[in-house]
Amino acid sequence: MKTHDTTDRRPRIPLGRRLRRDRALLLMTVPALVLVLVFHYVPVLGNVVAFQEYDPYVSTNGVTAIAESPWVGLAQFDRVLSDPSFWDAVENTLVFFLLQLVFFFPVPIALALLVHSLLRPRVRAFVQAVLYLPHFFSWVIVITVFQQVFGGAGIIAQTLRERGHEGFDLMTDPGTFKFLVTAEGIWKDAGWGVIVFLAALAAVDRSLYEAAAMDGADRWRRMWHVTLPALRPVIALLLVLRVGDALTVGFEQLLLQRDAVGPGAAEVLDTFVWWTGLRSQDFSYAAAAGLVKGLVGLVLVVSANKAAHLMGEQGVYRK
Amino acid sequence: MTQRLLERPLPAARGSRPARPSRWAAPARPVWEEPPTRAGLTAKAGLLVLACLAVLFPLWIVVVTSLSSKKTITETGGLVVVPRDLTLIAYRELLSGGQVTRAVLVSLGVTLVGTLFSTTVSVLCAYGLSRPGSVGHRLILFTLMGTMFFGAGLIPTYLLVQTLGLTDTYLALILPSAVSVFNILVLRAFFMGISPELTDSARIDGAGDLRILWTIVIPLSRAVIAVITLFYAVGYWSAWFNASIYLNDQTMMPLQNVLIQLAQKQEIPVGLGQAVKAGNLSGLAVQMAVMVLALLPVAVLSPFVQKHFKKGMLTGAVKG
Amino acid sequence: MTPNAASPGSPRTAPSRRGFLATGAVAAVAVAGGAPLLTACGGDGDTGKKDGTTSGKDAARILPAFVASDVVPADIPAADGSAAGFTRAIPSAELKASVAERKGKGTALTVMAPFWGTPPAPGNPYYRAMNEAIGVQATWQNQDGNVYDQKLGAVLASSDVPDVVVVPGWNLGGKIPSAIEAKFEDLGPYLSGDKVKAYPNLAAIPTDAWQRSIFGGRLRGLPMPASYVTNIAPFYRKDLFDAKGWQLPRSADEFLALAKEITSARAKVWACGDMTWTAWNMFGVLNGGDKALGWNLVDGRLVNRIETPEYLEALEWTRKLFDAGVVHPDEKAQNQGDTGNRFTAGQCLVYNNDLSHWYAKTSEQAAQNPAFAMAAMDVPGHDGGTPRLWATNPANIWAFVRKGAPKALIEDVLAIADFTAAPYGTKERMLTDYGTEGVHHTVEDGLPVKTDAGNLEVSSSWMFIASPAPYIAHPDTPEVTRAMVEWQQRMGAATRKSSFYGLTVTEPSRWTGLMNDFEQLEKDVVRGRRKVSDVQQAVSEWKSKGGDQLRDWYRKLLDTTGSAAG
Repeated sequence: MKTHDTTDRRPRIPLGRRLRRDRALLLMTVPALVLVLVFHYVPVLGNVVAFQEYDPYVSTNGVTAIAESPWVGLAQFDRVLSDPSFWDAVENTLVFFLLQLVFFFPVPIALALLVHSLLRPRVRAFVQAVLYLPHFFSWVIVITVFQQVFGGAGIIAQTLRERGHEGFDLMTDPGTFKFLVTAEGIWKDAGWGVIVFLAALAAVDRSLYEAAAMDGADRWRRMWHVTLPALRPVIALLLVLRVGDALTVGFEQLLLQRDAVGPGAAEVLDTFVWWTGLRSQDFSYAAAAGLVKGLVGLVLVVSANKAAHLMGEQGVYRK
Repeated sequence: MTQRLLERPLPAARGSRPARPSRWAAPARPVWEEPPTRAGLTAKAGLLVLACLAVLFPLWIVVVTSLSSKKTITETGGLVVVPRDLTLIAYRELLSGGQVTRAVLVSLGVTLVGTLFSTTVSVLCAYGLSRPGSVGHRLILFTLMGTMFFGAGLIPTYLLVQTLGLTDTYLALILPSAVSVFNILVLRAFFMGISPELTDSARIDGAGDLRILWTIVIPLSRAVIAVITLFYAVGYWSAWFNASIYLNDQTMMPLQNVLIQLAQKQEIPVGLGQAVKAGNLSGLAVQMAVMVLALLPVAVLSPFVQKHFKKGMLTGAVKG
Repeated sequence: MTPNAASPGSPRTAPSRRGFLATGAVAAVAVAGGAPLLTACGGDGDTGKKDGTTSGKDAARILPAFVASDVVPADIPAADGSAAGFTRAIPSAELKASVAERKGKGTALTVMAPFWGTPPAPGNPYYRAMNEAIGVQATWQNQDGNVYDQKLGAVLASSDVPDVVVVPGWNLGGKIPSAIEAKFEDLGPYLSGDKVKAYPNLAAIPTDAWQRSIFGGRLRGLPMPASYVTNIAPFYRKDLFDAKGWQLPRSADEFLALAKEITSARAKVWACGDMTWTAWNMFGVLNGGDKALGWNLVDGRLVNRIETPEYLEALEWTRKLFDAGVVHPDEKAQNQGDTGNRFTAGQCLVYNNDLSHWYAKTSEQAAQNPAFAMAAMDVPGHDGGTPRLWATNPANIWAFVRKGAPKALIEDVLAIADFTAAPYGTKERMLTDYGTEGVHHTVEDGLPVKTDAGNLEVSSSWMFIASPAPYIAHPDTPEVTRAMVEWQQRMGAATRKSSFYGLTVTEPSRWTGLMNDFEQLEKDVVRGRRKVSDVQQAVSEWKSKGGDQLRDWYRKLLDTTGSAAG
């Protein structure tokens, strides 16, 4: 799965000829590019309101309202960055992200290897189908189910009480909340994350295993020397993208559980922006917070990509 | 073609019956693979059973609750674990009235068209960006990636969709969310893993890029294309927000929105006469039935995708 | 909005705040055919270009005249701010006509309104019957009530606003009040003073409700009037209380003691749900649902609810409930939809919610559990005396007409409003609530019961365009109707009006976010995650960050425009 670089370090070809050479390739990107430009970048221009005190209703419509709203320079950014609650939310976000990275990220890979090693097609199909399912549970249901099992009136607590022990309530404990959220995330989405890795595994040339076996490599060595290298580019890609998205963690999941443990434990960047900006229609504030988040994400993805290069991986894009 | 040969059952495994062995039976292990240890097998089986139970127990709760009567649910005060006098009343409530049937058709249509469109656009774009050193690919790549960091608010997006005249059309459910850059990047990574010798030789034979994509890259990337297709299909199938913002006509609503409405409807108190009529119908059971109905297509889709994950498919191109 | 929000790392866009079946989060509970009646606590800020409010002499010029309706006398007349009660069904032959002729001139118009549940199909027989009876061609755009705030925000920012837009009070957050001023027509020229008499049912809407409909100095809203008596009723399981011989608590201490006695976690029984809303009432805390209601003139000085000792006492007491473990654990987690389910299951024997739950739960359980009996206890005074209750808003949902609408359209909207505001016992009310007899409802034992077609098609959204003076009419459970009205009357007798009662006040935008954190802080304090002293700290920050200036601003408002409470 390593990239085969054929054009590097070649003498430069004039642009005109390169354009002609790559014309077909460029044309192929046009549909996606047009869609992204129209449906993403055009509305993204609306983020200029981050430099305003924007009121979408002062004019006939939200676009002309931009012209009529006062410009305030960086005042909104100042509001965002000088708010201690913002930094608390950032801190929580990063903790959630790190926990996900350590506990969540490897699970789909391990599960993929496990599923991949199953030989019986029916067993494999069954296990795979079962593992996907939780992805299609809505967060409301996931949390309801967790509450019914681990909550203060849940199955476990009630069983304990019936036997004369103390009950417990895992769902409202701010101290363990971050692990709870990680566990919920693993339960819901780890099985779903398996399929990209399965696709990568399907692409591994079986003759490589055979050759390795002939060379006397046992099961584990074959996994180490054949399977994992085949997965590495995909793992690296997903890792880089995940790092770039570090400031995004379970919006709906956390919004639903915010009252159970309080914002001190549950507030992340997205829910913070929701409460302080969007809910009270402070669009300028929300836009400023969004831009800050985007910039941080950009820096993170560039750094992660660089790190991937240093480790000999392709990452998302090349140097 | 070695792998093709290996796919076939070995003569020893064939035994006396040439017919296909049961799919529950283990296919023969390749000769070079050592038999697993007992400890390894036990650990593996244990892990899988645990993982499956962790999924199936909550699923059990959801299914049992969806089949429970109002009386049972009132007595337990919430989700039901132990089944008692089961009833299909919640499903009957959902499927009567024809609302759901029409919405299923709408969702199927949007999902089919949308998935086909999105996958085509993404595969084309991913291939267009997959040749190292091609002109402009970095600029395009960064343009695409920008969408991952800078999002637009609802108001500008709404105004755009409205200006383009897409409100109250199905295009509003497809176009604004047609391209996922994440999917393009995954596709691209797989395409770049294909050995250039294959594509180069085709090019020398005079094949154009479209032909290379069609005859070499796509056949070699069936697994990942299946995954991306699944991603898009699931996305279209489970989307509801755009419909609730861009559609005003109730008769156009896709399934998810109709299911949400039906679940909400159960929370609406009714008069005594209605309550007697409704009998054993519980709102919670309806909500859970909605959940079960939402899971059904996944069960249907799953074998379709798995077909493409067969080990050692024709992929000789990839070198580790 | 990306279709595959599923894939890891894909760009997440619009917040899908409402997952699949969310019921919590927003303090609005859907009742009665897809329409919410409960607005409860947790209002959002108001901002606007034209700050302030209108009352006194200015308001007198704007407000419509009041002509009480005497079409059908109530079985229990309204008193002390209560709704009127109707305990009998009126046979169709005896229904009166409250609208003399068909007023509509056939204008085609669109109405956008929130909806909870499955909206009726467009052009169905019920809509046709309503349009026919009123003489209009109204097309409904029923929007998912749970994302209505987002839809509303986007639609108002476009240049294509529907002809009629319904706005609930809990969606008045942020810049929506300023949007209302900018985007909606002044109805004063059609309704002020005696002009309203052309629409007798609108003339019978109480002046309080009209006063609340003045936005930015103009009468813009058509109100859905509500009783100003608190809508938060502390319900208890009367059947279980009677069986155990438990006496209703008469003070805060008695409540806590009783709650401890009731609770038996081992038997999966907890005394109560989250009683914060009731605590406000027990301790006489000023209203928190609306910012202006939270101010009151005490000894010549305006004080805000969060500055009062009662506020802290109420928090402290609620915290004791949580501490004592008498609150159901799922209530502590607060991510679990319906407390009512735990109540009917007997796992939680006291809970507070909108008064309408009395009827809803009773009729729901009648078929399930004949022994079930519930009632609302009188709000206990914290010290054992009479509680000191504060009036809530007399209207909290409005319909608006888009600015620039032609006169003919506005008049046809008013024709709809006059029709849907028809009082109980009229043909108009019957058609609006139950559709056509034989098609949408049948009469069984003298009571109208909806048919399947009625359940699918009859939409309560019409009452958002305007409703009559508050009334409670459940002829199927006359005793509950009576009990509800009498509860309101007893509570109403203990209710007073704070300085800005009944006014729609638009605060200057720079202070709108000032109060945002308190709602969360309250939740944290009662659940023991923050200390009461944190609240005091937050209050002093609030003062220095603008609370004191806001006080001066409100003071000036009071001095120049006067109170509407009279």
